[in-house]
Amino acid sequence: MPTVKVNGIEVEVAPGTNMIEAARQAGVDIPHYCYHPHLPVAGNCRMCLVDVEAGGRGPDIACNMQARDGLAIRTDTDNVKRMRRSVMEFLLVNHPLDCPICDQAGECRLQDYYMEHGQHHSRLADEKITRTKRQDIGDLIILDADRCIACSRCVRFSDEVTKTGELRLFNRTDHTEIGVFPGTRLSHHYQGCLADICPVGALTNKDFRFQKRSWYLRAEPSVCDRCATGCNIDVDHDHGEVFRYRPRRNDAVNKSWMCDFGRLSYKRLAAEDRILTARGPEGAEGVDAVLAGLAAAVDAAARDHGDGSVGLVLGTRATNEANWAMLRALRAAVPGARVFLVEGNDPDAFDYTDDLLVHADKNPNTAGVRLIAEADGAVGDAEALRAALADGGLRLLLVLADDVLARLGEVRRPEALAFFGTWANATSEAARWVLPLAAAQEVEGSFTNFQGRVQRLQPAIPAAGDSRPGQVLAAGLARALGEDALPAGAAGVFHDLAANVPAFFGLSLAGLGAEGALVHREPPTEQVAPPDTRPAP
Amino acid sequence: MAMEPSILTSRWKIPDAHRIDVAMKHGAWATLPAALKMAPGEITQVVKDSGLRGRGGAGFPTGVKWGFVPPPEKRNGKPVYLVCNADESEPGTFKDRYLMWKDPHMFLEGIVISAYAIGAKAAYIYLRGEFGFVRRRVDEAIAEARAKGFIGRNILGSGVDVEVYTHLGAGAYICGEETALLSSLEGKKGQPKLKPPFPAVEGAWRAPTIVNNVETMAAVTWIVGHGAAAYREFGTEKSPGTKLLSVSGHVLKPGVYEIDMGIPMMDFIMDTAGGLRPGRKLKAVVPGGSSVPIMTPDEVARATIDYESIHEVSGSYLGSGGMIVMDDTTDLAEGLANLLRFYAHESCGQCTPCREGTGWMFRILKRVKEGRATDVDLATLKNLADNIHSKTICFFGASAAMPVQSWLKKFPDEFFGRVHRTGKVGYADVGAEPPGGDKPGGTTQAAK
Repeated sequence: MPTVKVNGIEVEVAPGTNMIEAARQAGVDIPHYCYHPHLPVAGNCRMCLVDVEAGGRGPDIACNMQARDGLAIRTDTDNVKRMRRSVMEFLLVNHPLDCPICDQAGECRLQDYYMEHGQHHSRLADEKITRTKRQDIGDLIILDADRCIACSRCVRFSDEVTKTGELRLFNRTDHTEIGVFPGTRLSHHYQGCLADICPVGALTNKDFRFQKRSWYLRAEPSVCDRCATGCNIDVDHDHGEVFRYRPRRNDAVNKSWMCDFGRLSYKRLAAEDRILTARGPEGAEGVDAVLAGLAAAVDAAARDHGDGSVGLVLGTRATNEANWAMLRALRAAVPGARVFLVEGNDPDAFDYTDDLLVHADKNPNTAGVRLIAEADGAVGDAEALRAALADGGLRLLLVLADDVLARLGEVRRPEALAFFGTWANATSEAARWVLPLAAAQEVEGSFTNFQGRVQRLQPAIPAAGDSRPGQVLAAGLARALGEDALPAGAAGVFHDLAANVPAFFGLSLAGLGAEGALVHREPPTEQVAPPDTRPAP
Repeated sequence: MAMEPSILTSRWKIPDAHRIDVAMKHGAWATLPAALKMAPGEITQVVKDSGLRGRGGAGFPTGVKWGFVPPPEKRNGKPVYLVCNADESEPGTFKDRYLMWKDPHMFLEGIVISAYAIGAKAAYIYLRGEFGFVRRRVDEAIAEARAKGFIGRNILGSGVDVEVYTHLGAGAYICGEETALLSSLEGKKGQPKLKPPFPAVEGAWRAPTIVNNVETMAAVTWIVGHGAAAYREFGTEKSPGTKLLSVSGHVLKPGVYEIDMGIPMMDFIMDTAGGLRPGRKLKAVVPGGSSVPIMTPDEVARATIDYESIHEVSGSYLGSGGMIVMDDTTDLAEGLANLLRFYAHESCGQCTPCREGTGWMFRILKRVKEGRATDVDLATLKNLADNIHSKTICFFGASAAMPVQSWLKKFPDEFFGRVHRTGKVGYADVGAEPPGGDKPGGTTQAAK
């Protein structure tokens, strides 16, 4: 582990760390444009020029300087200030300075760094060079080459990440112009990332452009729910409305990227097919009334036809907490109820898979539900459910989140169906009771992605309509069934889950951190008590 | 008049010396058989001992460079490549073109010997885009040499394989820079790459690659044939050997000359190169290609032609040996604007300071030339050059900055005389001595 010095602050870093990252660890920010932690180093913007105090020759660029013992750099010298001021001046010489009409304003590195490092008066007495503005180069991207600072991040992204190579810096000198090859368009499904990594307003997101000035937005960390990868995201919202998702860095999952399908799925939060109210046999009613009606039906079925006439299908699209709470509620009230897990994709899942981020399984929590089912030990699969429906013994079926009827295909329907879900589908159409389930970005909770990484959700906006988190609905159902001892808070449910499902032993919701935590592949032989991080009642 | 040595140019005056039969009658390909009997390390040692410095411009010791190639066990199974830099794009430089045209077998023999020395089985000759006619001649020479068994598989029954290919660039100045050359050779846009890694460790197709200039290759032929000691009989202690100079500008006999390093520069200009036109006085000399700092007549009078003296006397460099001589009819403001138009056109566009700064400097100089500038513009110009110099990936930034810095510093009157004086800016703001200063330098010289 090499030890380096940044402005006299000693810091020990992992071998191979460059000096921008080493400085970050020492609490020193080195401004940069072309460097990106998940792209190859290009070294062309020259903003990260630093003085080398010992262990090398300088000034040199921090992004291409590998940490090694004895290396000492300074970023606080007059020379470094001069160099930064000079690079800022060069960057702006041919920049249009059209900030008032630029959608990047407010989150633009040119603006941010100029306030900090610029010289605040222009020495330019000559005409600026102009380049092509407003080019439609992809389904999600508008290119304004006039604002480009030729950092080549987008070129490296399309070469090295999507490996589609559509973008190039054409021409030379100050006529260098970013663009796509003639007659072509961006052809990949990660276009939104280009707008993310563009440090200026050259590549902007068509979907977000002119919808909101970025300084009005607040970001909440969450996880994308459109496939089993579980890309970490920031949910940008204002006054209860979500304007965009942006990938949140997690080197173990999605690095700094996310696919366009996931990115645009924020629209589903306010989609017309959202289930916003509870519905019973008599039509729309309050959530509690519908839960009471459902509970009465559960009681009646169990009483008249035995516990085995009541069933629950766990939801691969619902949180660990929703699944665990539903399982607990039903098992407490109807110990002999039959439980199933039906894997597969719903009809509303997008039809695209690749080996970069987009997983074939379009459900965010299949791995988590599998582990819960495994711990329960008595959860049947799709075949078992088909068989149970076919013989008519299963009379009342509760379905959590998934479009189970669509997944099963042609099947004999149960006498009565209850659906706890977020969006209308074939199952909700057929259901006698429909309970509105809050969306992932509206709840506290967790998903377990395909790697077995448990990742935390935090509510960005209030739950839409009457919808509620799964564990709240489950607790309500339990209460209606006469079971009052079950926790309704996400932390409490997770605590209970971690105490009972071996793969989750020792985990706590608050302890998952920003990057999540892996479940135990080989469950520990002895139960590890989870730390109690539940909020005080 | 200094005696002109003729070790690299010995066959230039022989008619049809580019034909292998003619060339071989005068010693061509006579060194290779002996070289193949030496161990590769022995050849490298001879080149090291000779003190040969790279003739492309940087003057880096050739043998030392060869020594940077990692040993076979550290190459990850990659081959070693030799690349001969025949891009010769530096304005004022045209020696390699003559060398390849007059006597291609001289440098081809050096390429085969050098490839054997560094363990390369493939050598690429990268020629600039304008050198199509040279390429045809070199290709013919390669074909002749292959027919004689000097190039190809199992050369002269030694078991050594060396294949030599020519590659024509697209005419970009920057492709003379070795990493940009390699990018271009790989089929990419000719843009310099970050160092480290250096090409000797990770070059063409990420394999160890040695890039040597045409003249360097020719010198290797002579050095291996005659020994390091014989080579050191020419030149100075630190700049051994001979150097090809290409002289252009206001001399009566412009052309390519081979000189013994260490001869007085003024003698070379006034005698060998034919001197100035009658009645003209020397104004300035750019000694090593357009990028190097300019020299005043006083500095020329005190310098000898070798790497050390030129730098000590004037802060300039021998560079590629492309010497541009200017007499008192030269308009330096026009000259510098012309140079910057070239650099502003040729910047590869990668690094911010060079990409944006060269064009800006040119636009200011254009106004200076046209009388539409103020002295404040001159101070800005100097400051921009300082902000570009050594702030970029490759040496291009410095190459564009050094003329601006040195021409302003040494000939401030040429520029202050062309601009509107605001009084806000003095000579010191462009890095020059104030007028009337008694120190030797451009100001007093230009004022004479």
